[in-house]
Amino acid sequence: MKPLTQRLTQPVARTAKFWLGAFSLALATAAGAESILIKGADVYTATDLKPATDVYINNGRIEALGKNLTQSADRTLDGKGKTITAGLFNSSTHLGVVEVGAIEQTVDFYTERADITAALKVADAFNPNSTLLPHNRAHGLTHALVMPEAGAGLFAGQVALVQLGVAPRVVHESLGVAVDFTEHGVELAGKSRAAAMALLRQGLEDAKDYSANRRAALAGERREYSISLMDAQALAPVVNGEKPLFVRVHRASDIRGILALAKTYKLKLILAGVEEGWMVAEDIAQAQVPVIVDPINNLPSGYEALGARLDNVVTLHKAGITLLFTGMSWHNTHNAYLVRQSAGNAVANGLDKHAAIAAMTLNPARVFKAPVAGDLVQGAVADLVLWDGDPLEVTTEPALVMAAGEVVPMVTRATMLRDRYFERLSAK
Amino acid sequence: MNRLVSTGLAAAIALGLSACGEPEKAKPTLDLPNKNPYPSTYQANAKGTLLIKGANLLIGNGEEKAGTDLVVTDGKIVALGQGLQVPAEAKVIDGAGKWVTPGLIDVHSHMGVYPAPGTHNHQDGNEMTAPVTPQVWAEHSVWPEDPQFEKALAGGVTTVQVLPGSGNLIGGRGVTLKNVPATTVQGMKFPGAPYSLKMACGENPKRVYGSKGQLPSTRMGNMAGYRAAWIEARAYKKSWDDYIAKVEAGEEADAPTRDLRLETLAGVLEGDIRIHNHCYKVDEMAQMIDMSKEFGYEIAAFHHAIEGYKAAPMLAETGICAVMWADWWGFKQEAFDMVRENIALVDYAKACAVIHSDDPIQIQRLNQEVAKAMSAGNRLGLGLTAGDAIKWATLNPAISLGLADQIGSLEAGKNADIVLWDANPMSVYAHAEKVWIDGVLRFDRNDATVAPTSDFNLGILEAGEVRP
Repeated sequence: MKPLTQRLTQPVARTAKFWLGAFSLALATAAGAESILIKGADVYTATDLKPATDVYINNGRIEALGKNLTQSADRTLDGKGKTITAGLFNSSTHLGVVEVGAIEQTVDFYTERADITAALKVADAFNPNSTLLPHNRAHGLTHALVMPEAGAGLFAGQVALVQLGVAPRVVHESLGVAVDFTEHGVELAGKSRAAAMALLRQGLEDAKDYSANRRAALAGERREYSISLMDAQALAPVVNGEKPLFVRVHRASDIRGILALAKTYKLKLILAGVEEGWMVAEDIAQAQVPVIVDPINNLPSGYEALGARLDNVVTLHKAGITLLFTGMSWHNTHNAYLVRQSAGNAVANGLDKHAAIAAMTLNPARVFKAPVAGDLVQGAVADLVLWDGDPLEVTTEPALVMAAGEVVPMVTRATMLRDRYFERLSAK
Repeated sequence: MNRLVSTGLAAAIALGLSACGEPEKAKPTLDLPNKNPYPSTYQANAKGTLLIKGANLLIGNGEEKAGTDLVVTDGKIVALGQGLQVPAEAKVIDGAGKWVTPGLIDVHSHMGVYPAPGTHNHQDGNEMTAPVTPQVWAEHSVWPEDPQFEKALAGGVTTVQVLPGSGNLIGGRGVTLKNVPATTVQGMKFPGAPYSLKMACGENPKRVYGSKGQLPSTRMGNMAGYRAAWIEARAYKKSWDDYIAKVEAGEEADAPTRDLRLETLAGVLEGDIRIHNHCYKVDEMAQMIDMSKEFGYEIAAFHHAIEGYKAAPMLAETGICAVMWADWWGFKQEAFDMVRENIALVDYAKACAVIHSDDPIQIQRLNQEVAKAMSAGNRLGLGLTAGDAIKWATLNPAISLGLADQIGSLEAGKNADIVLWDANPMSVYAHAEKVWIDGVLRFDRNDATVAPTSDFNLGILEAGEVRP
């Protein structure tokens, strides 16, 4: 462990110094010292486009939104040819719970302990100093769901919502419990979908029993459970319908099976993955279940996803299902901001542009009860991005990122490395 | 009369020789291994003339030509210009408002050897049973029905280098394929393309073999492993050189026993096989370059060159290409020092910059990966155009494969590997509308009959669902 710490000392020290600077700026903003007026940008709300609009931000909030605003601001930015969206969400990441994928000591999103499944809380492991966070927020990502992964059974753990602001933080430490009903989870649960479904039912029954007889269960006076007491405790709000069960599932028939299970147990449900969702869109819509989906996944990567296709999200959207985007592909950690590229590809393949933007802003903000509106409306906390072009274009870059009312720094470890070597190359 | 005389003369000479008492010994003949025992059976046979009229051409070598005609005859590009004369029966495509690029080239793919679905039976890309396995050839693992190929084609990818994986120090031969449907890999092989050899630096081989308690378990173990192999290869090459020299001097000699491992390495020493070296870090690239000098071979390219921007002057000097992603990082320590300007900075230093996917999702949108890299460079003020950037997916990869005389740019005499885009290919909204390989239309976004889907998909997906 010591050598690792030593190796990390230098960049961390540099980052800390830099954050100190950023922090004083943040405090100044909070005290209302800096107000910002953006003139004439195209504003993408979650439902429409307001062309050439001014946005006035004061005290960390959007105080005014309209044509020809005359407020005097500390800083006025030319928004001509630029666009504004709300800050982006990626609804399935491992941000803050992994630093370097291949270095086990930095990976905290799963465990192989069979007694800590639903009880695993990724929020406990969240590292606000992770180098991944400044990189992602400088590219417009202001919020992320942090997903646990199944390591010992079907139940993976508790999902967190984090904010990638000047001082990154967990805003909801337990949104619900994640279940892996993909071929991976099924393998952990006895290598049969039928066995996995039986275990899932048993786990829910045990959690119900625990929830109804907590004192007796803790005293060892109830039957033996298939899950540990702490897992049962973690599942209690799920079986009581207070928090959703997040189920990762791909195959159409498996989606139907999970929808039926949720109906039986009166669970709130959020589906994730859903590559064959288009085949059962009506069922998902009828159950009013939101889906976390990456629109770019179009390969039959396993037998559970033989029907993966690019217009999956178009069908889901037309059925009236609430879309929550993740991606791009497996880039849901170091490059979780690439969810924007997945969204752009969804639009290129038929999805309504506002629906794509809402799937990264308004929808997750509402579904996960974020402390921001996920939209650009008067009075809302300034959680937004000023883009130098079309917000979904791959050649567009952020000119300004505000998270939770604060301007975030655009300097990251990568830009520092870039500047150092560009200087050397330019000198040649 | 004349005929009789000459016959008599010949007979006399023959008699004379035998009369010397030395029966003529047959001159020894060389018994050399066949260097191409699995030859390409690919044939294009495009006939006739195709005119793409008035499109914006990104030539592939850095140039751009707005509103220009492109003429193809019998599968070769014959002319670029305005108002060109073509035969009356020529096929004409209206390119107005559209864009044309050379077919995209991905020099790092595992399609076919890690096909979809990614089940255990399909794990055919990494022979991790010994650290040095140059005897294995990726082409012997390729499953031509892999549905990933047709998705890449829909993204404008016309040429792919399929490599074995990076678990080994020396992993085996790669193969360059035309991205065409075929029932055999021979039907996809790029005729005459040089073979490549996959080598891997750094974390992967030391992890794979270190966990088995054998060499290499360290980076120094990696170097020792490669060097031992090159020493064997030199001795093997010498045994063949000696044999050839003896035979050519008319001496009797037995051919050395063939060794498939060393045959591939000797092919590198002879300059026939090109090294494509998975190598992330500048310090390790420097070691590999020194080692190539120690043993006398050349390196074509460093793949996954996350630290290409640190190595750029060295790469420019040696002519070794850096093959890079636009933005991947952090999945292991050797990938920690990513900068999004990597490709642009390598290009800025006048080294050969190449994009690659190593990924069946990103290979479908290599143009977007190029666009991101261009955008990062422009954020730094490098003023890159689409014409500059597309080179990273066209001419530069062709150079790294040793095929720049045939593919990689829209120039007269080159193969007609062409993509017609419905918008600027640097846009997320752009689609490859039509894709030609050697002048044959292989994909048409608006005509599903042009590219029938893989056998695998039949009976699984409905016709309308299989379009990428």
